Amino acid sequence: MPGSKRLCVRFFAALVLTGALLLLSVAVGRYPILWEEVLEDTLSRRVLLTLRLPRTLMALTAGFGLGVAGGTYQTVFQNPLASPDVIGVSSGASAGAAAAILFLDGGLACVTLAAFTGGFLAVLSALALASAAQGRGMNTIVLSGIAVNAVSQALLMLMKLAGDPERHLAAIEFWTMGSFADVTLRHFLAVLPWAALGLAGLLLLHRQVLLLGLEPDEAHMLGVPVQGMRYLVLLLATLVTGAVVSVTGLISFVGLLAPHIARLITRSSRFSTVMLSGVTGGALLLASDILARSIGSSEVPVSVVTSLLGAPFLFWLMCRREAGHG
Amino acid sequence: MKQKIGALLAALALAVSAAACGAPGASVTPTPVPAATPAPTPAPEQIVRPETQPAFPATVTDAAGRQVSIESQPETLVSGYYITTSMLIAMGQQDKLVGIEAKAASRPIYALAAPELLELPNVGSAKEFDLEGCAALEPDLAILPLRLKDAADTLTELGIPTITVNPEDLEQMAQTVRLLGQAIGAVEEAQALLDDNQATQDFLEQTLAGAAAPRVYLAGNSSYLSTAGGAMYQNALIELGGGENVAAGLTDTYWAQVSYEQLLSWDPEVILIACDAGYTREELLGDPQLEQLSAVRSGAVYAMPSGVEAWDSPVPSALVGSRWVASVLHGDAYPFGQFQADAAEFYRNFYGFEIDPALLPDPLAW
Repeated sequence: MPGSKRLCVRFFAALVLTGALLLLSVAVGRYPILWEEVLEDTLSRRVLLTLRLPRTLMALTAGFGLGVAGGTYQTVFQNPLASPDVIGVSSGASAGAAAAILFLDGGLACVTLAAFTGGFLAVLSALALASAAQGRGMNTIVLSGIAVNAVSQALLMLMKLAGDPERHLAAIEFWTMGSFADVTLRHFLAVLPWAALGLAGLLLLHRQVLLLGLEPDEAHMLGVPVQGMRYLVLLLATLVTGAVVSVTGLISFVGLLAPHIARLITRSSRFSTVMLSGVTGGALLLASDILARSIGSSEVPVSVVTSLLGAPFLFWLMCRREAGHG
Repeated sequence: MKQKIGALLAALALAVSAAACGAPGASVTPTPVPAATPAPTPAPEQIVRPETQPAFPATVTDAAGRQVSIESQPETLVSGYYITTSMLIAMGQQDKLVGIEAKAASRPIYALAAPELLELPNVGSAKEFDLEGCAALEPDLAILPLRLKDAADTLTELGIPTITVNPEDLEQMAQTVRLLGQAIGAVEEAQALLDDNQATQDFLEQTLAGAAAPRVYLAGNSSYLSTAGGAMYQNALIELGGGENVAAGLTDTYWAQVSYEQLLSWDPEVILIACDAGYTREELLGDPQLEQLSAVRSGAVYAMPSGVEAWDSPVPSALVGSRWVASVLHGDAYPFGQFQADAAEFYRNFYGFEIDPALLPDPLAW
């Protein structure tokens, strides 16, 4: 089978798997939806439209967004271990969420906005620092990200110290574990435009994203304004990540793992791999959320599941690479 | 290319500034819902229905200032908070419960007074509330802590009347009991509980009038180097029991960490150990850093019983905790035997069980 046709088949298979998980996610839940009643104004219909469907779509969107953002980060940083944590979006969002929990009313809308703002401010700070340092390499951005991460973590620790251990501290810790339990239609609709804006930007710039994976001189010769384009692409990926985690809390491993699975499938670094990262991320997060709401008598934070699924897979990937397959 | 980048940067800048100005928050803000809309000036748990009207339909204002309409007397209830679950037992309404908060097995009062509650589905906790699980129970009324206001709004959208409560001190506890009484149509039962609490307060004030208040340190349950300041309910627990909280000057609204030096400078005459402490009285007495404390030298270190209910929180039996403190600090005026009898009467009247005296050991006999 020619390479492109094989890729199409694999892409289609990933889409079918994601679609199946989407249907399963809509079908599985604590509330026994009576499907014959969903066309009428019944509790089944309200649960489906207010809770189950938005939760499912949020998991898909979050997984897709984190997968694409992860693939973009790894391409731009030319590092297979790159993730949103590198330039501070996760720690910034955590600090923002903690501030809302501690100093504001701690409501979901408030925490969402604060986390989004915190994540974005952290990345803007990292990029501003990198720009001020006048370094042109990716190392400058990474080092700036480490500095911003450290400051965000310090702020987070200070807020944890100042918080009530039973109320604030528990809420902050829980936020960092991620969950889809309280996602409703209005939360999904609130972040969808931001995630869509970031994804649309990355799609429009797909060629430039790939060229940023080359050596800077090569990219420059091919007409890419390297420094500006890096910043723009990172901001777009941050917009996606920030929008997602502001509603769900931190979600481990998906942004790191999905691009690896996609590369395993396509065996290339084309933009289709970044898109497949999104589809894989969606499937991973849908499966994780189905497990998170099904395996116990209470919901389990979704990062517990993604970490438990992701860590062995990463180990397997590592062994495979050592054995010369990767 | 530059134009494309410029357009995208402009869109990004717009996005960031809108985020900072609250655009996503505005769209996340709960949309008005027919049954429960925020009142302009929240008046926590104020009942707006005149007493002369029939009990139902009723409109109550909950702790979040939401006006909640309840069409008919609820027959099925979900309680997502251990304090309201305990209140419902004390008001004789446990049979109406179809779902309660998670970790019910950690509340001994349920096993003692209403073991059937341990078999009910749980609807999660304030950290991870199970919206679908609660909806699946289709209760006539759901009762949630104020921290779950967002979940309360969502349940209301689903058509399940939901009230929020915030019993953080004795006054708010009384308001919560009143609110529950109105919302579930158990006004008399609620009033009986409130009358008993008031009678206990009056009794303690009269009995301990004129008695010298010993300096008391309340050691927190996570560590004996944590304590409750003047802004916490536990301060009232100590003062109603005739003690002076050495940490009353702390303004923290949660368990505050203190140092050995701070504790030594307070030099409490009595140390009370909070319910469900993660350490023992012997560990505290054996700490060489504390051996100079007056309370340690005299052995005046007492652990609050944990086998019934956490009396150091605003539960319906919180005043039994103040009685216990009074009997420990002022055994002459209020002997421990009388405390045991009074506590037994309270649980017999409101929780319907005979308390095992072994659950209330005499701390002075240790």
